[in-house]
Amino acid sequence: MQLSSRHADLEAALNLKTVAVALAFVAVAAAEAVSAHHSVPVNFDQSRTVTIEGVLTEIAWRNPHARFRMNVTGQDGSTVEWLVEMGATNTMKRAGFPMERFKIGDHITIIGNPGRRDRSVLLRETVLADGTRMNPEMRPNPGGGAN
Amino acid sequence: MRHRLAVLLTIGAVLSGSIVASAQAPDLSGNWIRGARIAFGPWDFTEAGQRKFESYDFKKDDPAYGCIGASWTRVWLNPNVLVRITQAAGQVRLQYEWMDIDRRIPVIDSTAANPKRSAIIPKMPALGHSAAWYDGDTLVIDTVDVAPGYVSTMEEWAGMPQSRRMHTVERLHRSGDVLTIETTHVDPTYYRKPLVVTIEYRKTDWELMEYGCTPEDAAVVAPR
Repeated sequence: MQLSSRHADLEAALNLKTVAVALAFVAVAAAEAVSAHHSVPVNFDQSRTVTIEGVLTEIAWRNPHARFRMNVTGQDGSTVEWLVEMGATNTMKRAGFPMERFKIGDHITIIGNPGRRDRSVLLRETVLADGTRMNPEMRPNPGGGAN
Repeated sequence: MRHRLAVLLTIGAVLSGSIVASAQAPDLSGNWIRGARIAFGPWDFTEAGQRKFESYDFKKDDPAYGCIGASWTRVWLNPNVLVRITQAAGQVRLQYEWMDIDRRIPVIDSTAANPKRSAIIPKMPALGHSAAWYDGDTLVIDTVDVAPGYVSTMEEWAGMPQSRRMHTVERLHRSGDVLTIETTHVDPTYYRKPLVVTIEYRKTDWELMEYGCTPEDAAVVAPR
C-alpha cells in the first residue's frame, strides 16, 4: 500500500474549535460510514468523538447526506454554526430513524466524529431535549455490510 | 385455443425481455447491497500516477460533490444503497440507487470486432461505454472511453487516478446470496500493472429508492 504523506495533511487539517460543549475524545470502533458519498474516513476522524449541543436551525432530509445546521453557543457567549452530517436519507429511512422527531428550534445534543473541516461532525447519536437517545444505525444491514 | 394463448404469451414474454438472454446465463437478478468484503490488490503507480494520487484534494476533487460517479469501482464501493440487476434478452440492466445511475448494457458476442456498447450515461462521462457477455457462470462487463478522474475517492484509496486510457473489466459471479464483483483496471498512463478490486454484495429484500441527488445539496460539506 502506497499510503502517502497526504494523510498527514488530512490530520493537520483537523482543527477543532473549542466551543461551550463537552469535547469528549474517546476511542471508537473502526466502524465504517453511516453512508458515504464523500468518503467518511477521508472527511471525518473516526478515532475521536465530539459532543455538541445547540439549537436546530436547518433540517434537510436529502441524499447523498441528510444534514442539520445548529447554532452552538460558546462559553464567551458567541454563537457559531455547526454542520451535522448524516447518512443518506434513504439509509436513514431503512434504519427507521424517526425523522419526524426533529423540529427547527429544538435544543438537541449531537455525539459524533469530528470533521476534518471546522465545525462539522458526522452524527453517531443524538439526544433530544427529553433525553431520548437515537442513532442512525437502528436497524441492521441485511447484507451484513458496514453501516 | 388455450395452446395458442400460451404460445402468444411466451412470444410476448420474449419480446418484452423478461426471459434471460441465454439458458446458460447465471441468474444475477434481484436486489443487492454491498457487504463488508472489499479488497484492493497491490498497485504500482507510474510516476504520473503517483503525482496525480499525491495531488488529490478531498476537499474539492471528489466528483460526488456534483452528484457524479467517478468510476464503476467508486460506484460499487458505496455502502448502504442497493443495486437492482435485471437480465433480459440482449441486455443486462443495473440500476444503482447511488446517484440514480441506470446502466443498460448490451449483451454481445465477445468475439465481435466492433461490439455495440452502451451510450454514455447522462452526466457520467467517467463511466464510459460498456459491453457485456457471459463467460460460463460469470457476467463480464467491458468498459472503455472513460473521462479522466479517479478510480476511488474513498478511504485510503481516495485519489487513485484513471486516465482516458483506462480499460476496466468487471466480472460478476454469484454464489448463493453473495455476488462478487472483481474489477480489473488497466491504465498504462497511471499504473505499471493491472489493479484488481474485489467487492462483495449480498442479496437483500429491501427495495430500490429514488436518490434525487442535487449538486446544491451534495456540495454542502461545511458550515456557513
